[in-house]
Amino acid sequence: MSKGKKKSAAAWLMAAPLYIFTLVFVLGPLVYMLVLSFLQRAEVWGVTSQVTLDNYKNILTPVYLRTFAESFRLAVTSTLLIALIGYPFGYFMAKLRGGWKRAAMLGLMIPFWTSSLIRLYGWIVILRSGGTLDKALMALGLTQRPLKLLYTYPAVLVGMVYALVPFMILAVYSSAEKMDWSLVEAARDLGASAPRAFFTITFKLTLPGLLSGVILTFIPSMGLFFIADILGGNKVVLVGSLIQDQLNQAHNWPFAAALSVVLMALTSLMIWFYRRVTHVKELEGIL
Amino acid sequence: MKKLISAVLALALGAGMLAGCGGNANTGSSAPDNSAAPSSSDTAPAGDKTLNLYTWQGMFPQEVLDGFTQETGIAINYANFDTDENMLARLEAAGGGDYDVVIADDYIIQTVIAEGLAQKLDTAKLANWGNIDPVFQGQFYDPTNEYTVPYGSGVQTIVYNPALVQKEITGYGDLWDETLKDNLAVIGNYRVVNGMALKVMGESYNTEDTATIEAAGKKLLELAPNIRLIKNDNVQDDLLSGEVGAAVMYTSQVTLAMLTDPTLKVVYPTEGVGFGIMGTFVPSKAPHPEAAHAFIDYVLRPEVSAQCFEYMGYYCTNQAARDLINDAYKPFLLLPDNIGETEMIQPIAAAAEEAHNRVWTEFKTACGG
Amino acid sequence: MKKDRSLFPRVYLAVVLGVMYLPILLVVIYSFNAGRLSSVWEGFSLHWYQVLFKDAAIFEALRNSLVLAGLTCLAAAVIGTLGAVGMQRLQSRTKAPMEYLSTLPIMIPEIILGMVFMAFFSLLGLPFGMTTLVIGHTAFCIPYVFMLVKARLVGLDKSLAEAARDLGAGEARVFFDITLPLVAPAILSGMLLSFAMSMDDVIISIFVTGVEVNTLPIKIYSQIKFGVTPEINALCTLMLAATVLLVLLSDLIGRPRRRRGADREKKQEVTQ
Repeated sequence: MSKGKKKSAAAWLMAAPLYIFTLVFVLGPLVYMLVLSFLQRAEVWGVTSQVTLDNYKNILTPVYLRTFAESFRLAVTSTLLIALIGYPFGYFMAKLRGGWKRAAMLGLMIPFWTSSLIRLYGWIVILRSGGTLDKALMALGLTQRPLKLLYTYPAVLVGMVYALVPFMILAVYSSAEKMDWSLVEAARDLGASAPRAFFTITFKLTLPGLLSGVILTFIPSMGLFFIADILGGNKVVLVGSLIQDQLNQAHNWPFAAALSVVLMALTSLMIWFYRRVTHVKELEGIL
Repeated sequence: MKKLISAVLALALGAGMLAGCGGNANTGSSAPDNSAAPSSSDTAPAGDKTLNLYTWQGMFPQEVLDGFTQETGIAINYANFDTDENMLARLEAAGGGDYDVVIADDYIIQTVIAEGLAQKLDTAKLANWGNIDPVFQGQFYDPTNEYTVPYGSGVQTIVYNPALVQKEITGYGDLWDETLKDNLAVIGNYRVVNGMALKVMGESYNTEDTATIEAAGKKLLELAPNIRLIKNDNVQDDLLSGEVGAAVMYTSQVTLAMLTDPTLKVVYPTEGVGFGIMGTFVPSKAPHPEAAHAFIDYVLRPEVSAQCFEYMGYYCTNQAARDLINDAYKPFLLLPDNIGETEMIQPIAAAAEEAHNRVWTEFKTACGG
Repeated sequence: MKKDRSLFPRVYLAVVLGVMYLPILLVVIYSFNAGRLSSVWEGFSLHWYQVLFKDAAIFEALRNSLVLAGLTCLAAAVIGTLGAVGMQRLQSRTKAPMEYLSTLPIMIPEIILGMVFMAFFSLLGLPFGMTTLVIGHTAFCIPYVFMLVKARLVGLDKSLAEAARDLGAGEARVFFDITLPLVAPAILSGMLLSFAMSMDDVIISIFVTGVEVNTLPIKIYSQIKFGVTPEINALCTLMLAATVLLVLLSDLIGRPRRRRGADREKKQEVTQ
């Protein structure tokens, strides 16, 4: 009896910093944002205290709705590509032994420690017309003249995948690494084929990692406006770019806040839906 | 596995510890620097030992900043913002304090002054006040020149590479030409780009009529197939590398582009040219107003000013500095005579602003699809 | 057949890593470019390294960024780990909403997070500078640690901790002797992620930084706005070199002990 109480007291004590920090520095600003989204912008600068729904009505304008649709399309495409590339990577990495595993992990971490902006500039050097890729293709005789690869939709996809794939890899690796491989061996001993053993055991056990990777990549890809700016020539308009424009150019903070509220609601909804469809209990542990 | 972890942990810890040491050394470093500097100099204002300068990156050559510190013993913190709006937001959050000297665009300064976040300059402390070129004074944002000292001016112009463009370009209207398909870069400012369409239609940049702005938006959609790229920074790089054949850009970028490749052609659009001035002001609660005035005066010196303008690549706003500018730079740093009609972009009503915004998003989306 | 299977993963890893390093390689190459533009090769030169070493502002920014990232990943690790472990055992109706809330910062576009932080901090009257930076960064780093530790806890055997408790071990003892070592890899990945994220963050930093604290990404970002000079390439090359050096160094120092530890390690992996 007293042990149960003590146990719960200890649990509370451990969770307390998280509770306090979250309430003050996450909930506080968010409530502020929610309030802001219902206020009227002032004629020139700042916000009036007048309550309005105009900011939300404004989002229903076709051009802004289309921005949401485009953002979703890009996020879904890049998350799919990231999962296709990142899952095998994380899985294979977890299966490596000793020195190889360490080498792969460090190989993965090192790019992470260089500035992502600079890495994106590296991609410009590659994709630019007459850039590294063009030169290589022309040297191989595959193309005759420079392709205009930079400032296109595929260029944005490359940037998104490149920037976010490490998150997927680390998430998959983290759950594959703690997996009990003897289960797979047992299944194989009992006569299961390799693919069957993979799908019935390995895939199931690494699913939490995969899902956590999906969440870690899908959400940022909606807001990474600077990739769309730098590699897409600002022509792929994401919700993130729209918010950025509202803050930096239009100075319409209430509209920016309303856009953010809707974006947050949509991503939360998607996560909830995803959880429902996949019936994976473990995901509850993630979000 | 443990091994890997320890390796990575060592890395993280190592970095953290290095950082810790560095941090301590850092906080202590500014004070000794100051005392070591020749504070005996008679130009040094009493008291202020630091100056918080707040502007875009790349507005001052390091030699100028160092020269000021050497002469006065005042250390400069050069803080950057990336847009005028962010600057105002930060300044507002700081209640007009924190910063001593701010340099920003004309239209935002109007708001800064209206919000009471700037203080009147004490011209008695500015011995070089007379060096300012009066052409750049008395503008809408500070009609009586009480708050600001201009620091550079610029226009938005078209620059093109005749080797990559078939048509001769003389104005904004030519940018709609079919031969420019996927070959044009524009700066990412919606007042400037929407303004191009307004100018072609013979309207003002500052029209507040939403129907006119919407009409300009329709006109812009026809321009979309020609747009390869929308960006504010470094557009000249794309022109120089042949990524685009023509670009609408700011004066500093024009200077950089022309210095690298003199075969490029600069066009002052026949429809009229957008014109802007950057102004220096002192925030209302600036912690070091003495140092701020000393710095503004220092930058107004002809030889210092010439150095600044050569570095920045904007039109020189200091009449005493004109003759000191290197001949190679002169064609780009002095306001040209053939510039034609100019108009400044000014703040407009919220409804018009929102229309611009919609038009802009529509335009960008059309460019992508 | 068997050989093929063992070869394919390695080839795959090598190819993906190769692509990852390609842009970095180009950044390194262009740091030795004589010209100013990072688009045209104009010959080998160390000029930009000289420029870099004269640039005191860049080094100050680097120091600030390292302090910030160090403090952030420590704070995020402590709060995130304790939170995940504590919450797993909590039976409270506040648990689910709190979990959702605490992971929200990574669901919000950074720009809006930066904006609300700035407005909120000025509402609280916090002075802008290192404190606000650490709070802002910690907020978006906690979710990484929290989620990774949580994912790890889900797969762990609870009976170990319970057995220890039954045998009379105190809460602190159970936490430090059993739970912590088991979740250590997750904490570490979380800390690394946090460190990297903090070192790389531009948008939030711009909003919540103070007058006297310029971080490296802010510096790089404004340089890019102004025009990337190979000075930044040079800096990145040096940082890359330092990272690689640290990695190799820690590898060398740790090597002699490895042989003895190998068996123990294996055993541990099995018991997990």
